[in-house]
Amino acid sequence: MTKILIVAEIKNGEIKKNTLELFSFAKSQGLESEAVLLGSDVSGQADVLAGQGASTVYIGDDASLEIYNTEQYTSLVIDALQQSQATQVWLTSSEMGRDLTPRVAARQGVGALSDVTQLEINVDEITAFRPCMATKAVQKCEFSKDGLRVISIRSGIFSAEETAPAPANTVTLSIPEGHSQLKVREVQVEESDEVELNEASIIVSAGRGVGGVEGCEFVRPLANELGAAFGASRAVCDAGWLPHKHQVGQTGTMVNPDFYFALGISGAIQHLAGMSGSKVIVAVNKDPDAPIFKVADYGIVGDLFKAVPVLREEVGKLKG
Amino acid sequence: MPDVALNIKVKDGAIVEEGLSYVISSWDETALEAALQITEDVGGEVTLLTIGPDKAAESLRKGLAMGAHKAIHVKYDEAKESDSFAFAKILQKALEGRNYDLILTGKQAQDTDAGLTAPMLAEFISLPQVTNIIRFSDVSEESITLYRKGDHGTEVIDMNLPGIVTVNDSLNEPRLASMRGIMMAKKKPLEEIELDSLDIPAEMRGKQGSMTNVLQFEKPETRKEGQTFEGDEADTVKQAMDLLVSESKFLA
Ligand SMILES: Cc1cc2nc3c(=O)[nH]c(=O)nc-3n(C[C@H](O)[C@H](O)[C@H](O)COP(=O)(O)OP(=O)(O)OC[C@H]3O[C@@H](n4cnc5c(N)ncnc54)[C@H](O)[C@@H]3O)c2cc1C
Ligand SMILES: Nc1ncnc2c1ncn2[C@@H]1O[C@H](COP(=O)(O)O)[C@@H](O)[C@H]1O
Repeated sequence: MTKILIVAEIKNGEIKKNTLELFSFAKSQGLESEAVLLGSDVSGQADVLAGQGASTVYIGDDASLEIYNTEQYTSLVIDALQQSQATQVWLTSSEMGRDLTPRVAARQGVGALSDVTQLEINVDEITAFRPCMATKAVQKCEFSKDGLRVISIRSGIFSAEETAPAPANTVTLSIPEGHSQLKVREVQVEESDEVELNEASIIVSAGRGVGGVEGCEFVRPLANELGAAFGASRAVCDAGWLPHKHQVGQTGTMVNPDFYFALGISGAIQHLAGMSGSKVIVAVNKDPDAPIFKVADYGIVGDLFKAVPVLREEVGKLKG
Repeated sequence: MPDVALNIKVKDGAIVEEGLSYVISSWDETALEAALQITEDVGGEVTLLTIGPDKAAESLRKGLAMGAHKAIHVKYDEAKESDSFAFAKILQKALEGRNYDLILTGKQAQDTDAGLTAPMLAEFISLPQVTNIIRFSDVSEESITLYRKGDHGTEVIDMNLPGIVTVNDSLNEPRLASMRGIMMAKKKPLEEIELDSLDIPAEMRGKQGSMTNVLQFEKPETRKEGQTFEGDEADTVKQAMDLLVSESKFLA
């Protein structure tokens, strides 16, 4: 029987929305799901996963799991998988998911489909759609052999249903020795009370057109006032005007919010690949021929330094 | 792989071959640049390895022109029917009996956007992996320090060598081949290897050796042409915001 093992993700002690999306989708398909929950001081979140429908939650809770590391996480997912007898493993295509998906699949001697944006499931027959070639084409894929299905799924594709926590049926995993070939020293966290890109329903992004750090700070209040995540193009992150975690695009975060504001961004393919799935795109650029206008629903040809104050004023009125 | 910066056409479930131009995947150029910097710094040698059809040799020549010391071309015509799993298995075979300290690849290939090959290879040859690096430091014979772009910040990781890393394009700006480099590349060794000599049976090749299969390619959903507003920002922003609220239910 089809059973899905979902690898849960945690931030600041809470289950991330991208994980809830996977549970909601499994439930909507009438599929049995289980969870593997890894981290430090995370056991308390098992009830949230049970509330989402996880029939068993496999828990690896240890200080050594505080920061993601390939070695221990792979072993723990495999351990959970062996106990669970799940026929599919689902991860999100976060940085953790991208690292873990191929490693887990290879250890089980099977293939994987990564960064899937549409999924059709008939028992363990799967048809998956995934963008490729900088989103200039979409692959319709299948698994061509029998065996475990390992899939990573892009955030924001399915909607997350709010559910009440429920008492969880838990299994405690024993913590494998880690850090033999790899030693994770630390995670350098930049400001973290911000809205995360792949959790946001509104994103305000700055491009090279903002001109520098000051330009970023000129735009940031608009993001704050909207409760939006603050994004950026690669040009901005490479110049060091904002930390890399703000980067939207193919090598940054792939996003699909309800509203995306592109300010002073030209719209290079790698940027578009990461945000053209947004429901509504608003662009401000002083170059009428900027490629961003080809994807924008509302394209304002003009200077962002003049446009942002008006945007803030209008938002202020709307928020009343 | 095909240059994805150019127009890509999809017809009858396939990518239209005509008009494609073949290049080194951008992330792979970043990986090569990193390898060159390391050898310039601490000594050693950079070898390029690719599995692909005859035309892949052009990319190897280009990499040699950038400064790589030698190249290995595993000749393979079934590239189009193969998935990352199949490539990782063949790479494993190709690496058997060879010496290396560090394997670098792109975080993903620009055509597949899969990002699966390197970690699968790492598992098959039991090496540690660090994916998506944006910086490195402290390269020694035994280890390297890697800065990985993680979900919650930059993860700082010491990796024992040999090991595998995949690179984020922010790591560096790949150099261009100089005229001299292009001339010198012609004299550098480019080893050609047939699959048979690697003892790679038919079951490991093409569709048979793959675990996943692309049924067809489709066109991405295109966005419909939106509206543009030109003029004084005080007016155009208001007009756009009004429509954003009335048509698109912004902040509703
Ligand atoms: C392998 C690879 C991966 C990449 N991945 C990514 C990625 O993930 N994300 C990403 O963003 N890029 C990525 N890039 C880089 C990408 O190709 C572009 O270089 C980058 O997106 C450009 O950023 P930009 O639009 O901010 O800058 P530019 O292209 O320089 O555009 C700046 C824009 O600002 C406008 N402007 C200037 N002043 C003003 C003003 N006062 N008011 C209004 N408009 C103004 C200009 O008209 C111009 O259109 C990648 C590239 C490669 C090769
Ligand atoms: N046929 C191949 N030959 C050599 N390297 C490859 C091959 N296929 C994939 N790779 C490497 O693996 C990376 C990721 O590929 P992919 O898993 O397709 O995204 C690429 O950027 C290459 O560095």
